[in-house]
Amino acid sequence: MRFEGSAGEYFKIWIVNIALTIVTLGIFSAWAKVRSKRYFYGNTYIGTNAFDYHAAPLRILLGRAIAFGFLLAYSLTAAISPKLIGLWYLLFLAALPWLIKSSLRFAARNTSYRNVRFDFHGSYWGACKAFILWQMLAAITLFSMLPFAHRARDYYHINNSRYGQAAFEAEIPVGKLYKYYGLTLLAILGALAAIVALTGGTMNIFKPADAPVIFARIAAVIFGAVAFWGAPAYLGALTFNLALNNTRLGENVRFESHLSPVRMTWIVFSNIVLTIISLGLLYPWARVRRARYMAECMTVIGPADAGDFQSMPMPAGNAIGEEVASFFDIDFGL
Amino acid sequence: MPLSGFYFPPGSARQTEAVLRLAADEDYLEIRDSGGAILARAPRRRVTATSRLGALRRKVEFPDGALFETADNDGVDALLKGHGGALARLERSWRLAALSLLAIIACATLFILYGVPSSAEWLARETPPSASRLIADQTLKAMDGKLLLPTRLPSARQQQIRDRFAIVARWEGSGHRYDLLLRSAPHIGPNAFALPDGRIVVTDQLALMAEGNADLDGVLAHEMAHVNHAHGLRSVYQASLVPAAIAFITGDASQFAQMTVILPAILLQSAYSRKFEQQADDDAAALMRRHGEDPAALAGFLERMELKTCGKTGCGPSWLGSHPATSARAARLRRAPAQ
Repeated sequence: MRFEGSAGEYFKIWIVNIALTIVTLGIFSAWAKVRSKRYFYGNTYIGTNAFDYHAAPLRILLGRAIAFGFLLAYSLTAAISPKLIGLWYLLFLAALPWLIKSSLRFAARNTSYRNVRFDFHGSYWGACKAFILWQMLAAITLFSMLPFAHRARDYYHINNSRYGQAAFEAEIPVGKLYKYYGLTLLAILGALAAIVALTGGTMNIFKPADAPVIFARIAAVIFGAVAFWGAPAYLGALTFNLALNNTRLGENVRFESHLSPVRMTWIVFSNIVLTIISLGLLYPWARVRRARYMAECMTVIGPADAGDFQSMPMPAGNAIGEEVASFFDIDFGL
Repeated sequence: MPLSGFYFPPGSARQTEAVLRLAADEDYLEIRDSGGAILARAPRRRVTATSRLGALRRKVEFPDGALFETADNDGVDALLKGHGGALARLERSWRLAALSLLAIIACATLFILYGVPSSAEWLARETPPSASRLIADQTLKAMDGKLLLPTRLPSARQQQIRDRFAIVARWEGSGHRYDLLLRSAPHIGPNAFALPDGRIVVTDQLALMAEGNADLDGVLAHEMAHVNHAHGLRSVYQASLVPAAIAFITGDASQFAQMTVILPAILLQSAYSRKFEQQADDDAAALMRRHGEDPAALAGFLERMELKTCGKTGCGPSWLGSHPATSARAARLRRAPAQ
């Protein structure tokens, strides 16, 4: 795979769309989101062709309005009768599998490659098992079952996905997941040990001190930031590789991904730092850089001609779930 | 002028080289293969194209689901007029990008300087007292028993502080209801803070350092000013308005976006908070002057407290802190004009 977008071109698109969003008091943001997604999908190539994103901005706007309405109702409840807040949490928990299901379906159905769309047909109950029951089980077992919960999420996502009439199928060895979670845990513990060693265990890093101590504290803060921002990227790269390398599409298409976890951590960390330092101006560059690296590391191994894929007739997905979910920042992984 | 590209049959991923051209009668569009055979044909007004975006290839869709893909953006625009070319033109120009950037900076500055403070003030005014009470209860619950312990001051001293509190509250006379809570806070040290519902916590450690009545009066007047201006609630609202606005505008509530706004949000929050401190100091100084006390007492008290907590070097850089530098606060208090 390769990514052919350029930071300069995306910067112009991004900044003009933000200005339009401000001018329209936020209404244009749905159009801006679609353009941004189209830019990234449309520049991601496998062979001679790129992906395409088809979502209708109006549906996204409707989804956002509904999400915003819920948030308002929730805040009002919090202000008027805080005792009823628990009901909202119950409602949210009950809606969560539906939100996950419909947002994955919306994303899949609005993605196409070579005139054939993707699809997702996971069920409410499946999302409930993968995203709630498995997580609860992992928590009860003091997170020793966390890799199983991770696999359940990946299975729900991948094994319910289709490209046209062909189904995706993943078979992920859980032992490898244990190894990766263990490695990440070790990396976090290492960073924590380094922080304790550098600060001498003191919590108040703003307390005045001599220059060497200050330098040690700065180093400790950097370590902490790398661990906090980098650990998810490190684990994410390892598990992404694992999931993709064990996925098949139909009978004879396989995938290969060799993201380097260290490189991915570096990209994520330096992207955040540079975006902050540049007051957001390098954000488009950071996104393009990440997309380019990820595309470079992925390969599709399959028939010389993808022409055998046929689409299935289907209605478009439902944007409400996706927007409510992304409004509350629910991340589905993979 | 025929456009060259690729043809996909309806619902199929099979691509063949083809050209898109206007039919002889000008009202129809047709796709022809390299041999010249017609692959698809439809009235021009029923054919749609994806809107232009960067250098992305265009997809021209026929009503039966057949697709023509081409990199010839200008060609598509010429064949099919009215398919969203305006936006792409805006997005292509560096000059417009620079203009947009300036407009965004101007809007953001206005929003930060005026929008956030005044909407937070409005929200704080509209917040029912029961909600302030709830926030105060939760804050106290989180601190009591851990950071805040029962006071260990002798009851005579407690009574003395209560008397001063009643006097200052009468002086202040804004009609707010104030309550005094005395707590021992060995981990926090000499400090006082106001909760949004009018309860004011004074630590034993502060009470022990206060020398004359004016020391204590100054601190109490400062905290009452915080309550009077609803500074507590306003900072809660201000803290959530900035990230919410950024997420709303960029349409990106992802982890990456949140992480990048944490630091600016904290810095901004400290800047707002320093403004509040200054306002509370000014109110306290005015109140003291009106009742024949010298704000310099509060200034000296602040300096003694800083010396005690942070030593001679002071408590870290002021641009990071929630309070202005003590030296600056003290100087301003001493300068406070007589009424």
